[in-house]
This record gives sequence, structure tokens and C-alpha cells, in this order.
Amino acid sequence: MQTGVRHPFVKFVFYAILVLWGVSVIYPLLWTLLDSLKNNQQFFFNAPWSLPRFPLIWGNFSYVWSKYHFDQYFVNSLVITTGSTLLGLILSSTTAYVLARYPFRGSGALYLLYVSSMMVPFILALIPLFFLMNSFHLINKPVGLILVYGSTVLAFGIFVLVGFFKSLPKELEESSVMDGASYFGTFFRIMLPLAQPGLVTIAIVNVLNVWNEYIIGVILINDPRHYTLPVEIAVMQGEMQYRTEWGPLFAGLMFTIVPVLIVYILFQRKIASGITAGAVK
Amino acid sequence: MNSGTVKWQRGVFVAAFIIPTFLFFCVFTIYPVIQALYYSFFDWSGMSQHKTFVGFDNFKQMFQDPIVWKSIGNDYFLVVGKVIGIMIIATFFAVALTRFNFKFAGFFRSIFFIPNVISVVVIGVLWNFIYNPQIGFLNAFLSLFTSEKVSITWLGFTSHTIWMLLPPAIWAGIGFYMILIIAAIQNIPSALYEASDLEGANQWQQFRTITVPLVWEQIKVSIIHITMTTLNGSFIIVWIMTEGGPDNSTQVMGSYMYQMAFRQFHFGFGATIGVLILVLSLITTVFLQRLMRQETVELG
Repeated sequence: MQTGVRHPFVKFVFYAILVLWGVSVIYPLLWTLLDSLKNNQQFFFNAPWSLPRFPLIWGNFSYVWSKYHFDQYFVNSLVITTGSTLLGLILSSTTAYVLARYPFRGSGALYLLYVSSMMVPFILALIPLFFLMNSFHLINKPVGLILVYGSTVLAFGIFVLVGFFKSLPKELEESSVMDGASYFGTFFRIMLPLAQPGLVTIAIVNVLNVWNEYIIGVILINDPRHYTLPVEIAVMQGEMQYRTEWGPLFAGLMFTIVPVLIVYILFQRKIASGITAGAVK
Repeated sequence: MNSGTVKWQRGVFVAAFIIPTFLFFCVFTIYPVIQALYYSFFDWSGMSQHKTFVGFDNFKQMFQDPIVWKSIGNDYFLVVGKVIGIMIIATFFAVALTRFNFKFAGFFRSIFFIPNVISVVVIGVLWNFIYNPQIGFLNAFLSLFTSEKVSITWLGFTSHTIWMLLPPAIWAGIGFYMILIIAAIQNIPSALYEASDLEGANQWQQFRTITVPLVWEQIKVSIIHITMTTLNGSFIIVWIMTEGGPDNSTQVMGSYMYQMAFRQFHFGFGATIGVLILVLSLITTVFLQRLMRQETVELG
């Protein structure tokens, strides 16, 4: 049993600090929502914490959706996130399974290579990656982003899934092979469904990373039609210097934040354990 | 079925599952990293096919560039600021949410983690709005206490603007490290705390004699992780908030690399800065591991 603090005052101070930090996290999200319902006048003449006046400017949302083409960016982000997550899952689960269950000469070294690549700063690869994609004619192509993002999750995915496959009982595959199932059949029909919790963890971590990613997106895409949401948010912020549309900017932020928050609320536990798994090597 | 076919089938299976992934990994990870090292020895605008081999000239030029030194300084400023800020606050929250039996501890945990799932771009834009000279929170708040409206351009000073980037970086990092330390604290056998309760130790004594020594491994991992991610990734928040300005005063290595390569088309020079980042982060990691190993010995 844990005992509480003896001094109620200390406990009160601690509680106050926790509440204060909680507010500092929640409030920016709340003000993003509130400010997305204001017009310019309210931004310039009222305090930033003032509530939006009635009538609320819901039009900001439809305005960024159609005039700023957030409809397109939203779909771009969705397609690229989904595509790269599936690609990453296929590539990492297959290799992880073999590394965990069918070791071959050099498989230990290969595993080490994947895992140690997590230590190399990705920023180093940015310049060559741009020229590589350029020579493949994959600049300004969503599929280019899917390929690159799909490969960024490989090391982490293999790291997590090798551990996962190793923890599954061997008897399952042995009896499956006895029954005459092929290696491929055993993997897809028996092992993959069993590995579902691990796969979900990797998928969610990847979804969050790709949805939020900025720098690769800005380097590999310069045609506005193919922007992802974070890239457009950065561009839009830059434009605010000569074109003040703060309400629409915050409406745009909402389109970027809300999907992530929904995923977070649904998969909270998995996300906390998944994101931190890579740090505990 | 003879054993030959079985062996062959197994070989096909292993190859089919290993080779595509490995090819992918080679093309999109290994090849670019090697290329980056290679580019750093060339003078190259990126536009022409011609790369001029310049040996170590890029490196020489780099060390003569005052902005590079400024960037290195800013990077380590952020490393030190973030390590101190994040570790103190995250450890405090981890202890408060595990050892103090607060109601809603789980709720606070969930809330505190939120900044870690939001895009750095969004975080940068939100904090830019806080610092905005005309309509931002900070000036509006300060104006409550002054007769005239405050209109400080928080991100406009050439000398201290890098300080302004520290609060968003710390704010965004707390949740992640808090979760790591919470996990470590929960692994401590509660018998240890019970025994020290019987001896009449207070919370602070328990923190010093039980919690810190037993989560020290995790604190070390966290410090190294903060250092690595800052050296490799802090440039995104810098780029979103100040683009390295004003007058290159908030430039970090990553943002300067991006600017040199993709804005000014000195790709060779950009790659050289990339190599600098790699080398410095490896050296710093090794240095920190040595340093903290010694400290453990002293503590023990």
C-alpha cells in the first residue's frame, strides 16, 4: 500500500501545479477552436482570450475547406498516411517474422543493422533522398511520399515485431505445418492474426508520425495540389504576414488536430506504450 | 515429400520475406546516408550534372562560417535547456502521479501526453500566436498591467530569441518522458516504500533514497534521447517559428542545412552540415554515456 503525503498543504500545491499544467495543454486546443470562429475584427480589437462573438463564424471552416483547398490536403494526408502505413506493415511484419522464427546465416547481423539504423539522424538522408526521388521522377507524386514514409517505419516496426513474434508459442505453426499448410499460408492465416496487437501498435505510431510529418513532405512536394496538411499549415502561416485571415488559419489547424485527437482518444494506451517503445532500447 | 523440396520451399519463403524489405531499406535509408557522406566532398549546386570534387574544402569553409558556430551554440543551448527543463518537470509529474495517490492521476497522464501526438508544425503555429506582437497572448496579458499597449516583438531580437523557442520545445516534450519515468517508477517493488514508511521517512527522503537511484537508468536513457532528438530534429520548430532568423540568430544546424541546400542550392555544403550533425550527435551520445556512468558509480 502506498501512503499519501502527510502534509495537506504540499498536496494542495502539487495538485495546483498539475491542474495548471493540464490547463496549459488543454487551453491551446480550446482556443484553437474558439479562434476558428472569429473574424479579423475580433482578433484585432478584442483580447485573444475573449470568447468569439455571435454569430459564430462557422463559415471559416467551409472557407478553408474549399478556398484554401483543405479538402484536397485532407485527402492527400489521408491517402499518404494510409498507403505508407500499409506498406510499412507489410514490409516490417514479413521480415520480422522470418528474423524471429527462421534464422539464417547473417540474420542476427541483419536485425542489428535495422535496429542500429534508428540511431542515425534521418536529417542526414534528406538531401540525397531529394535527388534519389528526383531521378525516379517521384517528386510531386503522392506515391513517392508513400514509399519514403513506408520505409521510415521499417526499423521501428521490425524492432517491435521481432519481439512480438518471439513471444508467440511455437506449437501453433508446427501443427499448422503438420496439417500441410505452406509457410506463406501459416504466416497469413495463423501468425499475422495472432500478431494483431503488435501490428496495431505499429500502425498507430506510424499513422501519427506520417500525419504530422513536415520536412520530408516539404522537400518532396512543391506542387500545391499535392501538399499534405502540415505543409499547407506552414505555408498558410507564412502567408499571414501579408494576408490576415486568422480565423481560417485556426480552422485549418482544427482539421489537422481533430483526427489525431480522435485516434489518441481511441487508442490512448497503445499510443503511450508504442511511442515510448523505441526509446527503451 | 523429400527434405530437398522442404528446404527449397523454406528458402523461397525466407527470401520472399527478407529481400523486398531489405531492398527498400537499402534504397531509402542506407543509400541516402552513404550518398550524404559522399556529397560532402563536392561543390554542387544540384542543378547541373557537374559536381566538382573539392576534398575537405566544404569542411574548411564550414568551420570558417560564423553562422555554423552560432548554430552549434544554439543547438547545444536547446539541448541543455531541454534536458534541464524536461527532466525536472517530467520527473516531478511522474512522481506526483504515482507516489501521491491523487484522484484523476490517470486523467492527468492522458492530458499531459497530448502535445506529443500533435504535429510540430501545429505547435509552432500556436506558439507563434502566443508571441505575436499585435494580437498575441503574451503582449495582451502584459498589457493588463501597463497603461500603454505592450507590443514586444518576442521573436524579433537578434540576441535572445533562441530563449523564446525553449518553452514550446519543453512544453511539447514533457508527456513522453513523463510516461517513460512513470513506467520505471511502477517497476519499483512497493515493499521498498513500505519499509521506508515504517522507518518514518518522508516523501522527499523516499524520492532521494529510493525513487531516484532506481529510475536512474531511465533518466539516463531519457537524457540521451532528448539530446539526440534535439540535435537531429529541433530544426523543425525553429524553421516554423523563426526560419532561423532574425539575422540567423536562431539558426540551428538542421535549419541552416535546410536553408543552404534547399533555399540557396549549396547542396554539397548542406550535406557537409548533415555530416557535422551526425558526428556531433554520436560524440555527444558517447560523452554523455561516459559521464553518466561515472555518476552512477559515485552514487552507488
